[in-house]
Amino acid sequence: MPNPVLALKAVSKSFGMTKALADMSITLFAGEVHAIVGENGAGKSTMIKIMTGVHQPSAGTLEVDGKLLTLSGTGAARAAGIAAIYQEPMVFPDLDVAENIFISSSLGWVQNKAALRAKAKGLIDRIGMTLDVDRIASGLTLAEQQAVEIARSLSQDVRVLIMDEPTASLSAHEAAQLRRVARTLAEQGVAVVYISHRLEEIFEVADRVTVIRDGQHISTKPVAEVTSDSLIADMVGREVGNYHIKAPPQTRPEVMLSVEGLGCGDIFRGISFDLHAGEVLCMAGLIGARRTDVALSLFGIRPATEGSVRFKGKTLRLVSPAQAIGLGIAYVSEDRRKFGLAMPMSIKSNVTLATLKGILSPAGILNRQREAEIAEAYRQRLNIRTPHVDLAVGMLSGGNQQKVMLAKWLDLKPELLIFDEPTRGIDVGAKAEVHDLIRAFVTAGGAALVISSDLPEVLALGDRILVMREGRQMGIMDHAEASQETVMRLATGQVAA
Amino acid sequence: MNIAPQTLRIIALVLVLALVVGFFASVIPNYFNARLFNRISSSVAIMALIATAQTLVILTRNIDLSLGSIVGFTAFATGSIVSAHPTAHPIFLVGYAMLVGAGFGVVNGLLVSYARVPSIIVTLATMAIFRSVLVEYSDAKSITAGQLPPWLVDFPNTVLFEVGGVEFRAAFVAAVGVVLAVHIALSRLRPARQLYAVGSNPEAAEMAGINSRRTVFVAFVLAGALAGLGGFMFLARFGTITVVAGLGFEFKSVAAAVVGGVNIFGGSGTALGALIGAVMIDLIDTSLVRWELVSAFWREAVLGALILTAVAVDAILMRRLVALRIRRDKDRHAQEAAK
Amino acid sequence: MTLKSLQSWEGFLMCALALIIAVNVVRAPEFLTIANQINLFQLSIEKIIVALVMTFVIINAEIDLSVGSMMGLSACAFGWLFQQGVPAEAAIAICLVIGIAGGLFNGYCVARIGLPSLVVTLATMIGFRGLARVLVEDRGIGDFPQWFDNLGQKGFIGPVPFGLIAFALLFAGLYVLLQRTGFGRKTYVIGTNRDVADYAGIDSGRHKIIIFVMSGAVSAFAGLLFAARVGAVRGDVANGFELDIITMVLLGGASVFGGTGSLFGTLMAILIVLNLRNGMALANITGHIQTGVVGLLLIGSVLVPRIDIAGVLRRKERAT
Repeated sequence: MPNPVLALKAVSKSFGMTKALADMSITLFAGEVHAIVGENGAGKSTMIKIMTGVHQPSAGTLEVDGKLLTLSGTGAARAAGIAAIYQEPMVFPDLDVAENIFISSSLGWVQNKAALRAKAKGLIDRIGMTLDVDRIASGLTLAEQQAVEIARSLSQDVRVLIMDEPTASLSAHEAAQLRRVARTLAEQGVAVVYISHRLEEIFEVADRVTVIRDGQHISTKPVAEVTSDSLIADMVGREVGNYHIKAPPQTRPEVMLSVEGLGCGDIFRGISFDLHAGEVLCMAGLIGARRTDVALSLFGIRPATEGSVRFKGKTLRLVSPAQAIGLGIAYVSEDRRKFGLAMPMSIKSNVTLATLKGILSPAGILNRQREAEIAEAYRQRLNIRTPHVDLAVGMLSGGNQQKVMLAKWLDLKPELLIFDEPTRGIDVGAKAEVHDLIRAFVTAGGAALVISSDLPEVLALGDRILVMREGRQMGIMDHAEASQETVMRLATGQVAA
Repeated sequence: MNIAPQTLRIIALVLVLALVVGFFASVIPNYFNARLFNRISSSVAIMALIATAQTLVILTRNIDLSLGSIVGFTAFATGSIVSAHPTAHPIFLVGYAMLVGAGFGVVNGLLVSYARVPSIIVTLATMAIFRSVLVEYSDAKSITAGQLPPWLVDFPNTVLFEVGGVEFRAAFVAAVGVVLAVHIALSRLRPARQLYAVGSNPEAAEMAGINSRRTVFVAFVLAGALAGLGGFMFLARFGTITVVAGLGFEFKSVAAAVVGGVNIFGGSGTALGALIGAVMIDLIDTSLVRWELVSAFWREAVLGALILTAVAVDAILMRRLVALRIRRDKDRHAQEAAK
Repeated sequence: MTLKSLQSWEGFLMCALALIIAVNVVRAPEFLTIANQINLFQLSIEKIIVALVMTFVIINAEIDLSVGSMMGLSACAFGWLFQQGVPAEAAIAICLVIGIAGGLFNGYCVARIGLPSLVVTLATMIGFRGLARVLVEDRGIGDFPQWFDNLGQKGFIGPVPFGLIAFALLFAGLYVLLQRTGFGRKTYVIGTNRDVADYAGIDSGRHKIIIFVMSGAVSAFAGLLFAARVGAVRGDVANGFELDIITMVLLGGASVFGGTGSLFGTLMAILIVLNLRNGMALANITGHIQTGVVGLLLIGSVLVPRIDIAGVLRRKERAT
């Protein structure tokens, strides 16, 4: 075996009560492409952050070249030759390729353009790309921007390059290009960490593959010794015990939402399903499956460009959230901070945000007492843990914030609720409460579309399960036919629908 | 063919400038002659410097509204030094003006980059504070041209060389020299490129290990120094300095920079562009005065429209360009995939 | 007053105000006279009226640099129209329409074309001023009807002039609008996070346009008031007022990033600035120095709470 470059030894990391990594050990060798796979939330990003000095481990140690090293910050990681590139590349849109590569290198005061260009060209050649180094970064494709970032890390003598879902938003052609870059780098002695949901590309690119699950190391094997089935089995072997097994679905004939061949530009297409009143339809898939984009189209934020939507028997063209809300369609965003809640504002004003009209007098005056009553009612009904509803919602824990966001949409009395990752990043107790709430909502005659990357949740909650992969519908199945393996196979593209 | 957008912008600006000159030449008799150049060149010398100073700050995603007050103070301070010591060496005076300006820049820079107060608040306040420092310092007196040594008063109008009636006067040549030096420094000096990096993508700058605080700080200090130089020019050109000297320069410099293609959100723009922006504004200003058909009082209204058009056209063109690029790339990929 | 409001920014401002008034009372016996108190408001009446609506603009995470020029444009348009023989009543109506149109233009450029309000209103600041100069050129226009001048100069109810009454009424109306209505709520939400507002079905673009229209209309009204108070207009009416106005609003606790601020805070800031200036004027301190002191206050107001928070955080870190 060649030399170990970087090793994590029994590293743990906790954030408050949640344990993101537990006893994680992994060794990276020079010249290998080491794939890491795991479900969303398995702890991959925490591991990257520890390797790049963003987080410090709560327990355990890091070794570089066999020597103990504490990465006190991102600067220390850079100095140790550890760099990472992400799905969203970090480039300077106004600078050209050559400058982007060398912006922070110490090359003296005066910029010798010709020399810079030649050096940049050398690095770009080294990773086997063809790219004009005079081009301005804002005009580059994502793959090209990532190449620029890789070249930048090479210019700083990178020895461990972490590629975090680098191909998730790339076209097949670009992804192949990037995989070649990863191989080229490994041949030149760099240790490449390759994180991906696309199992087939792991077989193409990796030497070894590590599976992690729930923050724990499950297995590390040479890629020749694994199959996609064995990987999937390792990835999904989770306890379902945390979730109630749901009541058998009642058959309700009434179709609430009927989607036929829905598509939006290049983002997704061919989405077709019926959603009945009283039913929970779960959308499963991995990062880059474009499930959120489907939801945004149904909510009128990014209007669909093809296909048809029938809601309660009427054919609709959804073009704005206001229109969707007026029809009784609500969307609970996965990103509370960006799209869900006005964090510095009070709980009660967030609860009534979508239903302001209901608490206005004819003259437009807010009935603040009514507002407080509504918020108070939801506080009790959803068990939102807070001393009072005047508190800024940003002060609450994640689970309670999630409940406030749910209260906002429930107050609308919607008929169709779209939940996007409704339980991500909240504790187990709050999760169960959110699940009960979704059940109660459909039992009362509503229809729920739930996007979730948590497989046990999908299986426990969904009356039917729709699996997407890279903007395409891979299959739709009844609760009875679904298992973690069948869903994961579809989501990773191992079987055609 | 691959022309950098910056170069493209400057070419476009020069073309628009030529169009404007052509237009006025067709409606104003005896318009296009050496005197036009002489007139504009002497008035643009000061604004070119201030606009360049403003450009340095805007590049980093900030704004400096205190530049006008810095100009006023340095003009006065330098004036009072030279009237007390008429034999003071010119180099010393220029250095003094720039140093005082840089001192004000340090105040702004510290508050913006180290105390993390938004630059618009900081410089809105320091604009008033620096002006009141001037009032206090001057004791409400004025500097008059009579107090200044003759070489200083003559400096702006000294003709260095003449080409067919086109006079290259000292102040103009000096200002253009400084702007060009800044322009070249901005494109060639590696530390200067970090100004662009910080304004272009602050998060990426942080990730790439650039010290953005120091970069922003330096931008404010340099802007102060350039404004100080502008103050010196102001003193030489006008001779009479009151407590309102340089009032309004802060907005005019932003306008010149924006018309000159400097992105108000940072990351792109050039000193040469700012210079052309300043020339454009001055050209329209002086030309409208001579256009009989229109009252000279239209000039500000036209200037407002000009800024808005420049920004809107730039924003719309940029969106188009990006969309075009994406489409082209897609076609290319489709072709490659077909192979 | 509850303890909670004492801890807040408004509470701090109230204490500062009380202090300034106390110093003024001790130092200048004429401070408390009714004449001085009315004069204190009258001297800046146009600015403080516009500061009220600027509070909406800044809470909405925008800025309007064109207010001073709109005041100038409105005043000059009035003068010009009056000179052309248009009856003063009609001229007033036309000026208000100009204000609405100007605000509509700003709002459209910001909300629908998507240009930054800093640049748009910088351009219209220059542009509106330019139009004002086109109308009056370098003349001064005066000799307005007596009733019009009286509105600006004489007591309207007892010794209280029309402008002050308008300010009080506008404050009451806008206070209710901002703090008690759905419109006000939306102003805060959009300023806090425009995406959250859009996802909740609020038309944030339309809202922004309405706020710019309010800003334009109130500025036009303030410009008319200026014409009445001075009794004549010139091209440079209200030149540079935007800075004082924005300073008052920021001092009142509004954040340039939007979402925070209140009309009560703005009112406190207005009173502080007015009393400070009045006190300094009574002590023979010139206008530029007064502005400088207000500038110091503005930086201090942003800096002081920040330092405190940093200290608290450090202590917290040490404790854990």
